[in-house]
Amino acid sequence: MSSTITSTTPAVTRRAQTRLGIALIAPLMILVTLFFVLPMCSAIYYSFVDFDGINPNPEFVGLDNYTRMFTDPEVWHALGNNAIWIVLGTAAPLAIGLVLALLLWNVKRGNMFYRLAFFLPYVLPGIAIGIVWGWIYDPVNGWLNKALQSIGLGHLTTGWLGEPNTALYAVLATAIWASTGFVLIIFLSALRNVDTEQIDASRLDGANAAQRLWHIILPQIMPVFLMVTTITLVGGFSVFDIIFIMTGGGPANATNVMGTYAYNSAFKVSDISYGTTLALLITALSVPCAVLLNRLQRRLSLQGTGA
Amino acid sequence: MIKLPFKAAAALTAVLALALTGCTGGAPSSGGNSDEKQIRYLLGQPEAPEDLELLKGDIKKFEEQSGIKVKLDVLPIDQLRTVLQTQLRSGDGPDVFNYDTGPGFAGALAQSGLLYDLTDAYKTRNWKIYDFAKERVTFEGKTVGVPDLIQELGVFYNKEIFSRLGISEPKNFADLQAAAKTIKDAGIVPIAVSDKEGWQGGHLLSMSLASRAGSKGMSDLLNGTTPWTSPDVVAALDAWSQLNKGAYLTPTPTAVSYDNGNALFYSGKAAMTATGSWLITGVQKNAKFDVGFMPFPGANDKGIFSAGLGSGTFVSAQTKKSESALKFLDYLQTPEHGRWQVEEVHAIPAFPVEASGTNASPLFAQVLQDTAKIADGSGDFGYSIDTLSTDVFNTALWDGFQGLLTGQKSPEQVSQDLQTAFEKSAAEGK
Repeated sequence: MSSTITSTTPAVTRRAQTRLGIALIAPLMILVTLFFVLPMCSAIYYSFVDFDGINPNPEFVGLDNYTRMFTDPEVWHALGNNAIWIVLGTAAPLAIGLVLALLLWNVKRGNMFYRLAFFLPYVLPGIAIGIVWGWIYDPVNGWLNKALQSIGLGHLTTGWLGEPNTALYAVLATAIWASTGFVLIIFLSALRNVDTEQIDASRLDGANAAQRLWHIILPQIMPVFLMVTTITLVGGFSVFDIIFIMTGGGPANATNVMGTYAYNSAFKVSDISYGTTLALLITALSVPCAVLLNRLQRRLSLQGTGA
Repeated sequence: MIKLPFKAAAALTAVLALALTGCTGGAPSSGGNSDEKQIRYLLGQPEAPEDLELLKGDIKKFEEQSGIKVKLDVLPIDQLRTVLQTQLRSGDGPDVFNYDTGPGFAGALAQSGLLYDLTDAYKTRNWKIYDFAKERVTFEGKTVGVPDLIQELGVFYNKEIFSRLGISEPKNFADLQAAAKTIKDAGIVPIAVSDKEGWQGGHLLSMSLASRAGSKGMSDLLNGTTPWTSPDVVAALDAWSQLNKGAYLTPTPTAVSYDNGNALFYSGKAAMTATGSWLITGVQKNAKFDVGFMPFPGANDKGIFSAGLGSGTFVSAQTKKSESALKFLDYLQTPEHGRWQVEEVHAIPAFPVEASGTNASPLFAQVLQDTAKIADGSGDFGYSIDTLSTDVFNTALWDGFQGLLTGQKSPEQVSQDLQTAFEKSAAEGK
């Protein structure tokens, strides 16, 4: 037995609604076309030619840029740094932000001050953060080395941004400092929607703090947790500004990530096409992760586990 | 009921689209306006803000003399290349601009036909740019620019610290090491070397290589007659490696920015700094002590300075105001402008200037005397490698030098990287 659903809306109204719908989405579509589709098509075109930034008729080189990319050891090195950034740069702000949010959750006095204090770094311009932390890390006059010397840890002093072994982690620490405030504020908002009666009940049942966090709080804030994870994780793929400001990818490429390598290839050695190809790789890697996490977040929200 | 919002939304969309198109459509063209009485002049932001004010004053003099208005555009140095290339390609570029003279910069623009050919102008307008300087802006037989200044690379030293510690100007590399040890033992940083930005590596190698290989040896390296794996290159790199390993340089030079390195020298926390003669303005303004300037010592002698061109002034091939642009270039080569360069910005013009009677400090007078020998051919000078090399080579040089100072690479590995980059550039026809 089959059945068909027939709309009772008159055809004239349906056409009018369609036109209205198109009119309403048109501005967004124009924006998407201008700022996403066209640049993406342009990038794909440039990845198939050999463009040096000057020659108006670049030679078509087929897949040469892609072949070069996958055989370029610096790509794998930069991807490795991206991986470190993604793992630590995602996990650390989430962990620190969550702990701080839990600590501030029930703080009544000075709550606003703490929120402001922790959130302030997030709204500072990246260039200011990079410059100030560059001073802090300075090997001769930097506060960090001076502080270490003053507490008897002078043997730990080093040129933080100039040593290949410490440079990436020094920049990463700055990025974590800058982004933790954002995570904290989001988590604090999510915690407001957590059912405290369940927590009280679990406490009566003898659940300890870790068990309450794992079984009661985290499931309730999971969609928000995933949303924050998505933002920080995708940021890990496309990280550029803070590394560019603080080390420029150096010393000797030690802090190169895909973003800085793409920029340096395009604008330092005028190999625009190769730089564009590298940038496309960043997109190709980050978009599936973002989509995956987004779907997971949506599914959890639909399951009603969300805060 | 529906038609009105649809039309309104459509109109809004059209307006938005037009606005966006306008936003992304590029800067208004200067090329379309052929009013010869105004030219657009683009240059990179000078390091010291006061230099820009001096420059504006100098341009004003030109405007008063010629009746030609100069619209000055100033861009951060790191954006200059990208913006200029894009503007020139789109036919929307400045009429006149200041740019690096090397093959990766002006050479690349010349190769693409984006620069105005000044070969005839040199003959008809009797420009007196030194021949060696003119050669550097001549590509495929066409002279396309006017070099604006000469620079020397060497080591500035604090005469007071040297005198207090009983040190005289080093006569060879062993002397330099001994002096550095004495200075270090006195609790002072011997040589303020900064290499956070990376480009300093090109200057540091230029200095030590000039004193190791000499002008002929450097010339052979730059034209490919001698490979970059030669013992002179390895020794020149090793000199810096030894100084670094001996803790005679700033701690972790790759973590120290150029400005911070200079500040160490100005403040007396470092006894020497290795850089170019452009620092003289900063030295005169900031250092409260007498300063000397010497070449980086060779293995067995006091060594020679490296010298090179700074930037140059170029005219866009697409300018519609060529006569005004040429008049501006005429002005940049007047004796009056030359003296202004010497007296106000402590820069050495690339054409003969009567410097007697100018208010040059002893330090700057020494550099003036030195560079005069470049012009008359009586002096022996090395080269500034990065101004004569391609982007690919310079990147290998800058990264390699950072690798050397951080212990990631040996002098032999860096020299091999340089040779590889040189061969790659040659293969690409650059």
